[in-house]
Amino acid sequence: MGFASTIVAWFGGLTPCHPPSVYRLKQFDESTVVSRRGSAAGTPPMSVKGIGNKVAKPDYSESKIVLAMVGLPARGKSYLSNKLMIYLKWLEYEVKVFNVGQLRRSRAKQKAQRYVGIKEEHNASWFSHANTQANHSREQLAHDSLEMLIQWLKEGGNVGIHDATNSTRMRRASIEARVLQEPDFHLIFLESTCDDPAVIAANVALKVQSGDPDYKDIPPEEAKRDFLRRISEYEKVYETITEPHLSYVKIVNVGAQVTLSRIHGYLQSRIAFYLMNLHLKPRSIYLSRHGESQFNVEGKIGGDALLSPRGMEYAAALPALVKDNVGDAPLTVWTSTLRRTIQTAGDLPYPKLTWKSLDELDAGVCDGMTYEATYPDDFANRDDDKFNYRYRGGESYRDVVVRLEPVIMELERQDNILIIGHQAIIRCLYAYFHNLPQADLPYLKIPLHTLIKLTPKAYGCDEERYKVPIEAVDTHRPKPKGAAPAFVPSTARQYFAADVEAAARAKADLAR
Amino acid sequence: MVAPLYTTASGLLFHAGKILVLTIGLPARGKTHISRALERYLRWMGVKTQVAQGAGGAHKVPPDYFTPGEKSPETIALRKKISEGCERLIWDYFNGGGQVVIYDANNGAKATRNAIAERFEKEGIHVVMLESLCDNKDIIEGNIRSDYYHRIKDHEKHYETIDDQDWPFIKIMNVGEKITLNKIEGYLQSRIVFFLMNIHNRFPYHLLRSGQSLIEHSYKADSDLSPHGWEYAANLKDYVLERRAKSLEARSIDPTSRKLVGLNETLFTMSTRSGPPPAGAHTTPPGLSSPPNTAPTKPRTSPTSSSQAKTATPLRSTSTRLSPRTQKRGSHRRSLRRSRSSRNRRCWRSTLGFGTAWTPDQAKKYYAEDWERFVKDPYSFRAPRAESYHDLSVRLEPILIELEREQEDLLIIGHASVIRCLLAYLIGLPASEIPAIEIARGDLLEVVPTSYGVQSHQYHFWDGPGRSKDGRTYGP
Repeated sequence: MGFASTIVAWFGGLTPCHPPSVYRLKQFDESTVVSRRGSAAGTPPMSVKGIGNKVAKPDYSESKIVLAMVGLPARGKSYLSNKLMIYLKWLEYEVKVFNVGQLRRSRAKQKAQRYVGIKEEHNASWFSHANTQANHSREQLAHDSLEMLIQWLKEGGNVGIHDATNSTRMRRASIEARVLQEPDFHLIFLESTCDDPAVIAANVALKVQSGDPDYKDIPPEEAKRDFLRRISEYEKVYETITEPHLSYVKIVNVGAQVTLSRIHGYLQSRIAFYLMNLHLKPRSIYLSRHGESQFNVEGKIGGDALLSPRGMEYAAALPALVKDNVGDAPLTVWTSTLRRTIQTAGDLPYPKLTWKSLDELDAGVCDGMTYEATYPDDFANRDDDKFNYRYRGGESYRDVVVRLEPVIMELERQDNILIIGHQAIIRCLYAYFHNLPQADLPYLKIPLHTLIKLTPKAYGCDEERYKVPIEAVDTHRPKPKGAAPAFVPSTARQYFAADVEAAARAKADLAR
Repeated sequence: MVAPLYTTASGLLFHAGKILVLTIGLPARGKTHISRALERYLRWMGVKTQVAQGAGGAHKVPPDYFTPGEKSPETIALRKKISEGCERLIWDYFNGGGQVVIYDANNGAKATRNAIAERFEKEGIHVVMLESLCDNKDIIEGNIRSDYYHRIKDHEKHYETIDDQDWPFIKIMNVGEKITLNKIEGYLQSRIVFFLMNIHNRFPYHLLRSGQSLIEHSYKADSDLSPHGWEYAANLKDYVLERRAKSLEARSIDPTSRKLVGLNETLFTMSTRSGPPPAGAHTTPPGLSSPPNTAPTKPRTSPTSSSQAKTATPLRSTSTRLSPRTQKRGSHRRSLRRSRSSRNRRCWRSTLGFGTAWTPDQAKKYYAEDWERFVKDPYSFRAPRAESYHDLSVRLEPILIELEREQEDLLIIGHASVIRCLLAYLIGLPASEIPAIEIARGDLLEVVPTSYGVQSHQYHFWDGPGRSKDGRTYGP
């Protein structure tokens, strides 16, 4: 804006022979100066040749939200932070987790490297409230991490998650006071409490067995004892949120009971809405495309064709494969309303639900055509920005993400689910569970006749793929420029802030 | 996201089953307001929803009807009759394909409400209790009708709040200030909570079309107002202020105690803010080199230059012509101003493809096939390079949430298609009727929530060029 006004001033007195006419337009349109101030330009799509079009990223809120976690160690705070981040990023908000534990470990590591021989012991006594010096360090860490978060929000983030225990009223009051200094920032606390000993025990076990650097070179038994002592140090000073003036979400036993206080506004409610639907019970999600269809064989897109003979074979082979994996555990099968998925699920002896939301990406006027036959211009354009490309009279990948929202929400609260879907649909769901960037999403390799098993873990999803040895055509169209996205799913916890950055960089490289 | 997306053969959505929402609360706790607002929102989502009114102001009842405790035989019989009648109504609605029924009654006695819940649970209906509590005297007094006082006093003695976790419940304190949930499961039920987090408004909404622009036939040009547009803007200001004064007087509200917000400064801007149109595409439908009838009013902006207009796209706005006073007031509302530009963009018009440069006759002639599809299902028809009403509805959802949240009177000035969607939401019209709503320039639409639904009025205040295109406005 500033740039444009300068130009107007510069050319103001000249006869405009060359300056772009928009500036002239602005000059005689002085009446709207007031309302024009502050409105930033959108992210308009580039123009395209051909019959489809590209649709800009929908208009997202410019809200700035500081979401501060509250809870004892081993109450699933980091799990909730990560889930929430993945969900909101999938919806294209800018979200980042600021984990105080990571910062603490990183700093201790730096210190150890700089002064060889000095190692700061982060054992239970370091976390004791009675340890004044450590108290000070911990205050400082939480404070620094909050400053980093606020800085990041100012640079364009939407939601910054402050992943720390924030367990005392005093600490919360100081966060509140700091955030209040920033105009237009909202502060929400998210408290996770848990009185189910089994859940806590599982979280503790995960903590001491998964290679936490805090417990490096320490036998598991001793590590566990120390960690439990750390928890009890926190318990001594823990104060649950009751401050009536604060905005907060309180979750008891991950979702059974929820209290919402002063949660208003679109993005805030959306966050609460999502958290209400989460659960921690172990389960798996199975994804499969329908068996090879007649249209697949002919190279056509869209349509509501029936299965090819090879597709029928896959449908017949599926029950045994599923049974091998699921055993006697309950399972529900979801299909789209199109015949090829219903046919594929035909022999499965489980309850079935059909979802209109799971229908394949609507190819509009290209429905029933082959990729090569028509509109070569269009497909070139589509390759240019496949995520945003909307078929004439049809949908873009982004439209699909929007309409999958109820499915995601239902998936989060269900147990074992098998989804028999379509290429674009499975891509979107897969990207959600693995937290993959939107630009890569349309190029993910989801072959026919393959069952994908995803098992959500605290820090990611485990993945197994079962290829059924029945031939099928390859419907994957590679990314025209650059390598196809490939990544190794990881469920490892990231202990250092640097790890997070490195992983993000690796992902960004892949996207390029 | 929300907004009516599709219908299913069973008529039910999200595999959520059938849900009975049982309201619980003393009189004057806003139960009816909440029920009606929820009904409106769920209908907007495409969920078949109905409020069943328990004994409220609608019935003529003996004096001891609302007094818990000893009853005359006459009253007992009447109570039974009414509650049985209600349950029969609820069943009729469920059996007729309804998905959600909101049973709006006091239900203050634990034994009674549990019995109702059990009867429905047995038949496979999910029961959710919705309790509305208040410890804020102002809210209660704001809700009270004079004959209520005794009723409330009597009820308070016998009222039993939800204190166990047997049934799924939603407990709302002071209309959304604090919400407690128990065993709320599934997409549709959480959606209900999502909505309840934001509910507030029970004040009038005013809806208006924006003034005539210089480039009236192209929705993407985003030009300034024409001279008639400015005239319209001036008229509009006078009329809105006059109308509002009358309305406040009729409701015997002190005008100084109330603000009119939203207008220009804040949420529901009257301005449109659009990015540059795709080069060369904004008025020329594909396949035609020069669009008919664009020449006369089009200023000399070449497509290339307008696509460079990233930072300097002009706004078309009637806003600054409104009273500076209202602007000032608006500026106090920091929280609402924050994301002004983004909200502006949400209020973009639905760009109904050939609508941009074509009269219906031309469209019929050149795009017979598309026109046929449009006529068949105007709501979901997405013209080439354009948005359908459905797309628009999806885009407007955050606006609806803000609309519910706003605690002052609102004036919304937008394009006809936007106003159509908002109006349909406010008065609960089905999606299929949205494209047919007629919105003419010079009409002020006023929607006033009442205790049993909403009332809408149309006030005509201006006749001038550009009031509507041909009596029937197809485009946005």
